[in-house]
Amino acid sequence: MTWFSSSSLRRCRPLLGTFVEVSAWGDATCLDRAVDAAFSAIGRVQRLMSFHDPASELSRLNREASGAPVKVNEWTYHVLSMAREIAAASHGVFDPTVAPTLQRWGLLPSSSKPPQSSGDWRDLELLPNLQVRFARSLTLELGGIAKGFAVDCAVAALQTGGVESGLVNAGGDLRAFGPRTQSVQLRDPRLPGRLVKSFHLSNEALATSAPTYSRRESAEGMVSHLIHPATGSAHVANVSASVRAPTCMVADALTKVVLFGGLAAEPVLTRYAAEAFVLSADAMPLAA
Amino acid sequence: MTGRIHHLLLPALVAGAFHGYATTYHTVESAQKACFPEGAEFAPADVKLTREQMKVIEKASGVRVRLETQRVWKVVRDGKSAGWFIVDEVLGKHEFITWALALKPDGSVQSIEVMDYRETYGYEIRNADWRKQFLGRKNGAALRLDDDIKNISGATLSCRHITDGVKRLLALHDLVLKQ
Repeated sequence: MTWFSSSSLRRCRPLLGTFVEVSAWGDATCLDRAVDAAFSAIGRVQRLMSFHDPASELSRLNREASGAPVKVNEWTYHVLSMAREIAAASHGVFDPTVAPTLQRWGLLPSSSKPPQSSGDWRDLELLPNLQVRFARSLTLELGGIAKGFAVDCAVAALQTGGVESGLVNAGGDLRAFGPRTQSVQLRDPRLPGRLVKSFHLSNEALATSAPTYSRRESAEGMVSHLIHPATGSAHVANVSASVRAPTCMVADALTKVVLFGGLAAEPVLTRYAAEAFVLSADAMPLAA
Repeated sequence: MTGRIHHLLLPALVAGAFHGYATTYHTVESAQKACFPEGAEFAPADVKLTREQMKVIEKASGVRVRLETQRVWKVVRDGKSAGWFIVDEVLGKHEFITWALALKPDGSVQSIEVMDYRETYGYEIRNADWRKQFLGRKNGAALRLDDDIKNISGATLSCRHITDGVKRLLALHDLVLKQ
């Protein structure tokens, strides 16, 4: 019985600041439309949650939510709720409010307004009726979780479109579904062209965080896009954290919890039915 | 095993090792079809830029113009212009990408499709002779890139070079194609 693999389609577009690849297997008549719908869903997440786009809902929140509650789309509200939940579960090891540091390091664009955040994730208030308010001034950045959410939305679009098996990979944050098992390889964080470990994924997600491409010199020394919220210092070591979880949004966020939380991340992994793989040339790369 | 952090100790790096992989997503024809699914005719309209035009585009877009000749098709449907289809190449530190930009008749972006993606490490990608091996037919490449590698998770590669490419091609449209 091979009808479900009768045809396949693999497409790649630049989205979310990276390369997003959508692969689909199934009835040839549905593939084109379903893959288009998957890319549209990712485009929608980008329009809602891009830090770079002044017209996004996220930018509007950053401009206005410190004053009065702002009503957002349910997708944005969902991501904010999950961001807050994982921030709480990890005691702030994951924190979507570290944007001002990234701006200072030149890893995120700065608006004319100087970067500011006097609060942290606890000041992100999710009110009824999709209303969001900042109890203190905050600059939110959802780069550590929205990409995973976008992958989940694309997977949902493929499923709705009648695709039997699929895989969505947004620059290394990926999720597979359907009867087809997908083989995935991990990059060596020291030399990203080198692939070091193979996984077989089926109906689950895998996301990885590593400083390999974002690492750079700044006035404050070596920095990267990965910041430890408690210490404010960057993760620049050749260590990568990959998390395997039921959804890509959870996998994406938990990579940061593992990188910065070390063994303290294990209860959080348990809570979300996830497991982690830390790659390094060092026997004890993470904090205990 | 759920809840666990598994440590994987990386082996020592071997100096000089070459790594690379490639994926082909589209031929010119299939990219045209994906960008204009309603169907259309594609009339070749390649653009050969003069030195002056290259400078104007660089100034307008803030992006370096590398290619003198740009592969362009005028898209026609029912005898009317349906836009433009342009094939371009961009070069990053580790990636060499052939991609297509579809423009609406008014010159705004309709869609972008990556046609061919090659990622390489361990060689100087900016070397012209080396790069030449990638131009043209995939089978002609002297270096064998592993296209059995299907999915990779790891550090996120930026698509900034394509974003820059879009700026450059929009400037080219304004200067040369706009009617």
